[in-house]
Amino acid sequence: MINMTPEIGHILLIMSTVLALFSALFHLVGISKHHLYLINWGSSFFNALFFTLLSALLSLIYCFVVDDFSVAYVANHSNSQLALGYKIAAVWGSHEGSMLFWVLAIALWGAIINWRQAGKLVGLDSADMRTDKAYFARLLAILALVILGFNLFLLFTSNPFARLLPNIPIEGRDLNPILQDIGLILHPPMLFLGYVGLTVCFAAALASLLGGALLHRHLEYLRPWVLLAWIFLTGGNAFGSWWAYNELGWGGWWFWDPVENASFIPWLVATALVHSLVLTRKTQGFALTTLFLCILAFSLSLLGSFLVRSGIVQSVHAFAADPTRGMSILCLLVLFVGAALLIFAIKAPALKREVSHNLLSKETLLLLGAIVLVVAAFSVLLGTFYPLLYELLGLGTLSVGAPYFNTMFVPLTFIAVILMGIAPLIAWKASTRKPLKVLALPSVAIVIIAALMTYQTQTDGALFLFLGCTSALFLLCSLGMSVCTKSQALTPPKPVKPSASKRAKLAMLVGHLGVAVTIIGATSVSFFEQEALLRMGPGQGKPLADYVLVYESTEPVETSSFRAIQANISIRDAKQDDLVLGYLNPQRQTFNSNGMEVSHAGIDHGFWRDLYVSMGLQLSDTEYLIRISYKPLATWIWLGALLMMLAGAIAAWPIKQPHRVAQTKALNVTNSPRETMSL
Amino acid sequence: MNPLFRSPYLSLLFWLLSLSLCFGGATFLATAQEGPSMGPSYQQQAIAISKELRCPMATNQTLFESQAPIAHELKGQIFSLLEQGYKRDEILDFMVQRYGEKIRYQPEFKPATLALWLGPIVLLIVGLGLGLALIKRRP
Repeated sequence: MINMTPEIGHILLIMSTVLALFSALFHLVGISKHHLYLINWGSSFFNALFFTLLSALLSLIYCFVVDDFSVAYVANHSNSQLALGYKIAAVWGSHEGSMLFWVLAIALWGAIINWRQAGKLVGLDSADMRTDKAYFARLLAILALVILGFNLFLLFTSNPFARLLPNIPIEGRDLNPILQDIGLILHPPMLFLGYVGLTVCFAAALASLLGGALLHRHLEYLRPWVLLAWIFLTGGNAFGSWWAYNELGWGGWWFWDPVENASFIPWLVATALVHSLVLTRKTQGFALTTLFLCILAFSLSLLGSFLVRSGIVQSVHAFAADPTRGMSILCLLVLFVGAALLIFAIKAPALKREVSHNLLSKETLLLLGAIVLVVAAFSVLLGTFYPLLYELLGLGTLSVGAPYFNTMFVPLTFIAVILMGIAPLIAWKASTRKPLKVLALPSVAIVIIAALMTYQTQTDGALFLFLGCTSALFLLCSLGMSVCTKSQALTPPKPVKPSASKRAKLAMLVGHLGVAVTIIGATSVSFFEQEALLRMGPGQGKPLADYVLVYESTEPVETSSFRAIQANISIRDAKQDDLVLGYLNPQRQTFNSNGMEVSHAGIDHGFWRDLYVSMGLQLSDTEYLIRISYKPLATWIWLGALLMMLAGAIAAWPIKQPHRVAQTKALNVTNSPRETMSL
Repeated sequence: MNPLFRSPYLSLLFWLLSLSLCFGGATFLATAQEGPSMGPSYQQQAIAISKELRCPMATNQTLFESQAPIAHELKGQIFSLLEQGYKRDEILDFMVQRYGEKIRYQPEFKPATLALWLGPIVLLIVGLGLGLALIKRRP
């Protein structure tokens, strides 16, 4: 029997493309003709769009589950021997499927906004309700246009339902062995949800700009979307790094590889956006900065995708690359970003709003912090693209790697940390030097302690160690001080409920603590790691830190997808040789389906240290090249990321708002009459 | 007189200073008693250098991470060059001469890489300057 599912999926994808076009058109025409009926049709089309995309993805999943190797995407990324969980995860394991997943996630997020908008309109007077109806219509129209662009790209250059006819392969090429890990199930969906969140922020920013008025209410709508996007991006980056540490290569946790940078750059800008949004909510100023950052974050996430999927850069995390796709993504990028920047350039001047600020205030520090984050993002971008530009200009070839990025990133982090340390202690608007004085003396002590620690360690790159120690200590000290000081009551114009203000402070403390914990982990692993590279065979031991690692035996391992040789290495206490604390089992795996050989590290995770062993080439009959490494506080890197995500969740958790009458004040009074006219 | 010196925190500073000096001095003495510091061994130096070089065969991996045969060979060569008394910079130059500029993960500072090295600093200065101007403009 012939499996028709791929055709059905293909048709569903085409239908969703048409629905996206309809949804956008009905929304836009409805807004311009002041026609609520058309707008409601647009919303219905958007819901239909979501369901068709969901069905398309389900049909792709079905093709994977039933091993339909007539579908090229399935044949290239699955195998009948693959476990069911990985067959499903393989859907987003490569380019076409992950794009489909991405588009579906945009549609899902848009549909949720669509369903919830009725709830948000409750309690508004009729003029405000019309304004908001138009705002949501514009937002959904822009999302539909983005989906339309992505869908056309999918259909014309990377159709996941393309068939291999008539020569149907009997067996699929396997999913890349490195991807056969729990990391594949968690990491890409999180990252895509982060990107999708940025897409929604982009659409919301454009909806605000096109409306011609920046309403405080609309920024309140924007807030949970920004925070959710940020939480997902944080998680996506952290899980990716954790995955690479556990599965890939030789124990590094961040390689500054172009693919990593592609997701790290949007994270940096999203972090700036989170802070700029705080600034805008509290002071009602800098709304344009916030909107611009929304546009920037989305543009950079798209640029990152271009980088990853076009294959113009060499990466360890190789993505199936194809230059024609690169060209198409570049066209989409130019189209979306160009249009957005044009709208910004036209609409922004009218929305400028003068608010008075003191130079020494929380506002200044938040703004400067956001700027440093954006500068960091562009520095990483520069380093990532430089080899490419260099080659295009015919200057030859060069590599930009970890040494360069660390040289740039560590000092920028240091500056950001200084701002982070001072900002919580200084009040909004008020200009008093008192908190600086309080902080000055501990910081002198911190600098001296850090200098002594650095001097005592005597390693290469002492400056980085010094900066790392100073930032971590300074941040912890300032956090402790801001726990002790009472949170300053905010001055009007916007009275915030005390519980909300306390929650915001808690989120800040947890988030910044997370940054401190990550800095401590990263500094510690970078400078206090002890490692050895040696040949080892049964019976041989090697002392390392407080442990002795003894190579006990070599064992063969066989699973359904790979054969492996596994070293059994015992961890013993350095003082008592006979006390076995645990075992490490690094493997060299050979995959059945494609013969690829992969090294799988053996790691003993702990709160204070990780012990890491990986197995290299066979050097003699019984001996292997073994790398052992003692990584103090390694887990803190990801612990800090979890704290950051928790902080985002604390901030994003909805607060029940019984009365919203007080919030309906327009940020920009001059333009609001026109706004109410627009429906 | 500078208000700083009238601060009640002055005494705290002295305490912290003397404490940290004691701490630092003590640890310094503790390490000094173990005999003259040997500096990192050849193997550690070789590992550090191999982390700065790109494997000519692998897609984007350092010599240290790469498991390609050429990476093993080059790691061995770095080690033997160190044993022969070559310094880090000489070894890096040697590798660049043999395999081209691409092998070095830290690009050289030269006119063509000026934008790369100074770009972030210029961006930072311009960014912070703009930010401050934005705030100062609003008295």
